[in-house]
Amino acid sequence: MLTRGGGAAEPASAWGPGEMAETTLPVALVSGGSRGLGAALVTGFLARNFRVATCSRRDSEFTAEMSRARAADFHWAAVDGRDRDNLRLFVRQVADRFGRIDVLVNNAGVASEGVLPTMRTEDIAEVIEVNLTAAVILAQVAARVMLRQGSGCIINISSVNAIRGHAGVAAYSASKAALDGLTRSLARELGPRRIRVNSVAPGYFDSDMVHDMSDEQRQRIARRTPLGRLARIEEVANAVLFLASDEASFITGQTLVVDGGLTC
Amino acid sequence: MEPTPANIESFVHGRIRAILAERGEAVPHLSGSDKLNATLGLTSLDLAFLVSDLEAELGVDPFAKLVSITSVRSVDDLVDAYRMAFIPHVGPGATNHLDAAAQRADLRRARRQNR
Repeated sequence: MLTRGGGAAEPASAWGPGEMAETTLPVALVSGGSRGLGAALVTGFLARNFRVATCSRRDSEFTAEMSRARAADFHWAAVDGRDRDNLRLFVRQVADRFGRIDVLVNNAGVASEGVLPTMRTEDIAEVIEVNLTAAVILAQVAARVMLRQGSGCIINISSVNAIRGHAGVAAYSASKAALDGLTRSLARELGPRRIRVNSVAPGYFDSDMVHDMSDEQRQRIARRTPLGRLARIEEVANAVLFLASDEASFITGQTLVVDGGLTC
Repeated sequence: MEPTPANIESFVHGRIRAILAERGEAVPHLSGSDKLNATLGLTSLDLAFLVSDLEAELGVDPFAKLVSITSVRSVDDLVDAYRMAFIPHVGPGATNHLDAAAQRADLRRARRQNR
């Protein structure tokens, strides 16, 4: 079941379609915005005068603070990425509350490690369900809203693992490479209705996904990276914000790799 | 006007006409047997736009679970898909020939009422 969190004041029934639709401020929907890159994207879009909706499995200090400080233009709901019906409901809830959806960022994802032959089947299924199927469903429902608007932008957060093979992340790589395929085909499908679709493929950046790495692993990655370090989270967010902006108005169907040159 | 199985045809025809008008084309008299693509020139993206629009207007999406969009070829196919969404016992849930016959009868009745 979808629940609102973070101390937001109004009951769900108070969000009439007309209530917020009066404003012309654009709307960004970022999946997985409770922490990490998602939270950086929420912050970035709010700073650019977007109204922002995000969902995550659980709330966080960040979503609670945004719900208090930016109640009028921030929306959070608890949605499990494996719950297809609630993913659909969430997008419709956002469209009802804010009246439109200009940008969708498919950011929510789970990492999985371990060589494929010894991975549990349910862990493989979860990676595909959360990283790929949830993104497809969010894109499908958001695209309907964008079709009615006659404009929109979808950005899928991929990974350098989609581009280069790395041992121990086969299922994760498969899910991210599939997102890049989705990006290209969806760009062709929706382009005639002025909806752009792109991917951002980050390399290693400071996030929960690399917290488990040893210092030695981090140093090895830094040595292999032409720019000599891991990315700051804002550097990845900035690439997404660029693709979402009018500055990127003629870019669609592309994967922008943000990895300090790791894969060049 | 509240959508009902009897007047659903006018909603669907209205949206098809609107799409054709947006393209600056002369809007023909629509016949139920008109093929969406071959006769009217609607692309699959036009159909997606149409379905999105009708979902917003009618509050239902028969293509989410009830009907496959690939089975929709004609204007009547599209109208029937929306009627199914408004008549709860009509749809793939029908388990035998009697149910199937009842579905067809319901659809014919709804069509006649609308004429």
